[in-house]
Amino acid sequence: MGEFFTGVFFCIATILIYFLMKRIYTEYPHPFLLPIFTGTVVLVALLYYFDIPYESYMTGGQWIEHLLGPAVVALAYPLYNQRDMIRKFFKPLVISVLIGAMIGILSGYLFARLVKLDDFVILSLLPKSVTTPVAMEIAFATGGVPSLAGIFVMVAGIGGILTAPYLFRLFHIHDVFSKGVGTGCASHAIGTAKALENGEEEGAASSVSMTLSAIIVSLVVPLFTSFFF
Amino acid sequence: MDVWRIVVHIAILYGFYYIGAALQTWLDIAVPGSILGMFLLLLLLFTKVIRPEWIAKGTTLILAHMPLLFLPVTAGVIVYLDLFKGSGIFMIIVVYVSTLIVMLSTAWIAQTLINRGEKNG
Repeated sequence: MGEFFTGVFFCIATILIYFLMKRIYTEYPHPFLLPIFTGTVVLVALLYYFDIPYESYMTGGQWIEHLLGPAVVALAYPLYNQRDMIRKFFKPLVISVLIGAMIGILSGYLFARLVKLDDFVILSLLPKSVTTPVAMEIAFATGGVPSLAGIFVMVAGIGGILTAPYLFRLFHIHDVFSKGVGTGCASHAIGTAKALENGEEEGAASSVSMTLSAIIVSLVVPLFTSFFF
Repeated sequence: MDVWRIVVHIAILYGFYYIGAALQTWLDIAVPGSILGMFLLLLLLFTKVIRPEWIAKGTTLILAHMPLLFLPVTAGVIVYLDLFKGSGIFMIIVVYVSTLIVMLSTAWIAQTLINRGEKNG
């Protein structure tokens, strides 16, 4: 029974921290104040400070984590809602996201090998371009660490949206739809939220690109790792 | 009642997730079961077997608060904090540089294809 109450406590604490961080972000919408980043920092700091083992925290945390599976399934809905855009831009969309997703996996792998990262770290960073729940599932399925995958996805998201405006200006990417596709393919949901702020078409393009890339990466990475690991 | 609708919608999503997970075990592949579940839902939405309004409310809620769902997992980085010391910064640089390459190449390919399409059409 004791474990149950510890679980309830950590579960509620996580939800409270999340909504507090979300509120701070609403007040001060800076990429470094995104709830996923500040929430992680606060949780890690609290566990560290009160010397709480991660396993005891997870007695409650796992109830929340359990919703990740259905959350991935839920991604089908926004993709379905954008079916008109997918029909209209089918060719440029599929070709660019397919190549972009491949480049992401290959470049991640090559750079990681170049600086001699450990295998379990490389396996955790291969799915970095896709939305967190999918990246965690891929990392888990291929022998990586879901927690690390979550951190790398965060780096791709926050790093991506901080740099995107300069990158697109420098390389003359002016087309709104293409900007959205690039943002979604590289910076997933964090990128899509940012793209939506820039405009509806960019947001829609990013949303479709993000889900498409999640599908491609989840098919390719397991195949890739079976050859290279 | 909206609350009940949301519960039912999420239960349907769970159903697809478990079917996907069973499919993964059965096919013995490393593609996550949740992705297989998503495929299946997408397929049934397109073939109009499942109506969007059967899942809309629960889906919108779950997607809006997605970051909450993976907070417990990202907090697990506490076990790996030592990795980020010293040369651990290379991990971040690798991810960051690769991200910029993906963003640029994807956007560039899309823009080139769209421009070409307009000229031809």
